Amino acid sequence: MAEQSNETPWQPKILAFLCNWCSYAGADLAGTSRIQYPPNVRVIRVPCSGRVNPMFIVEALRQGADGVLVSGCHPGDCHYLAGNYYARRRFALLQRYLEYLGIEKGRVQFSWVSASEGQRFAAVVTKVTEDVQKLGPSRHLNIQVPTEAVVPNGPKESEPKAI
Amino acid sequence: MNALPKPIQEAIKGWLSSGEIELFIGYEAGTVPLHATPAFVRRPEEVERLIWDATCENNLAAFLSKYRGKKVGLMVKGCDSRAIVGLIQEAQWTRENLRLVGVSCPGVVDPKRVAEKLGLWVEDLADAHVEGGQVLVNGQRLAVGEVLYAVCEACVHHNPVIADVQMGDSISDPDPADAFAHVRETETLSAEERWARFAGELERCNLCYACRNACPMCYCNICFVDRTMPRWVNQTLRPEDVQFFQIIRTFHLAGRCVGCGACTRACPQGVNLRLFLDKLRADALELYGYEAGTDPSARPPLTTYRENDYNDFIMG
Repeated sequence: MAEQSNETPWQPKILAFLCNWCSYAGADLAGTSRIQYPPNVRVIRVPCSGRVNPMFIVEALRQGADGVLVSGCHPGDCHYLAGNYYARRRFALLQRYLEYLGIEKGRVQFSWVSASEGQRFAAVVTKVTEDVQKLGPSRHLNIQVPTEAVVPNGPKESEPKAI
Repeated sequence: MNALPKPIQEAIKGWLSSGEIELFIGYEAGTVPLHATPAFVRRPEEVERLIWDATCENNLAAFLSKYRGKKVGLMVKGCDSRAIVGLIQEAQWTRENLRLVGVSCPGVVDPKRVAEKLGLWVEDLADAHVEGGQVLVNGQRLAVGEVLYAVCEACVHHNPVIADVQMGDSISDPDPADAFAHVRETETLSAEERWARFAGELERCNLCYACRNACPMCYCNICFVDRTMPRWVNQTLRPEDVQFFQIIRTFHLAGRCVGCGACTRACPQGVNLRLFLDKLRADALELYGYEAGTDPSARPPLTTYRENDYNDFIMG
């Protein structure tokens, strides 16, 4: 969120899509093992990283998430055999595309975390939170930010352009 | 304006009268200056209406989704044929149901560019026409090569990939070394500058969906923008909503866009959609060695995988 009072410093909101079979179980293990990690992450459980539609990620940014993490099983370990392989191709293109359009590097991240890697899950969340903290509040695509702040000088009532 | 050569006309007439196809889609002279109109021909005697010249800009493959399951003939330029290869790969069409007249296209004329060069308005081009490789406007002449669409200038596949009959000679393709030079150039900008460019282009977008309608690969029966359950997209002119639409529509073409430029030509606001779509094409080529529409036997990159695919973007 863009506007926060001085008393509570800004904290990033991070949305995490975790696959049911690996990363969600990894997050569960981190919890039951009492491993500490930043509380900035909001988890959505999905059947597979291959279930994550690129639209979900862009919509998360639009709704005001400062960062998005998608995490699934390690390649070769997919419960559905190949879901994460398809996801990897899709997200490779998506991440490079969003970066090309001007979404800062680090806002949208991907990782592989298995059900036994509670420690690793905590490390991943810590890293993503630090990265997004450095980038500051999300301004692009974010409907929670007043329009003037999105486009420099605000959208003008520009004269119709000659064609 | 040139009627089609006799042998080609005979071939189309033969297909129509023998019932091999029930419809042939080509071009005919239109009322918009320097812009041939798509023609839908069902009877052999109508074939004489058809023309071919440098004003035949539409990607006719975009009309195919209306005739799924029928037998249709089509006039295809290089880019149109790549779209058809894509449609066949995605099981939208079978090759047997298509009869294609291939034509090697050196590029089509951009009326806005003609007007700009001559200091006129597009409306002043009413008498303009193309004759022997030149555009004639009120007695002034311009070489067709000077006033092509930007996408045609950058074209590296002039010849049809698939065709039943070839019309005219094939053209030698230029070296595709710097086909994505404009993408590389944009990549050197800072994130802020790239966003300003993206947001700046889309400031003009008014969600008319002409890009979607002109796109041969946008064939969904119900587009995600038109769905109401769930409602994916806010159809408002808020910059964030417009950006959301364009990001998702263009990303739907990841690994599928054949780079015909139909979206960019159709845009009434002159949004340079090519600048964004070409990044997806450049990446599909760089990461997966895939160029959409050039090889009918290849699998589109997002429908397959390799175990050793590019993995560097995953957190360590």
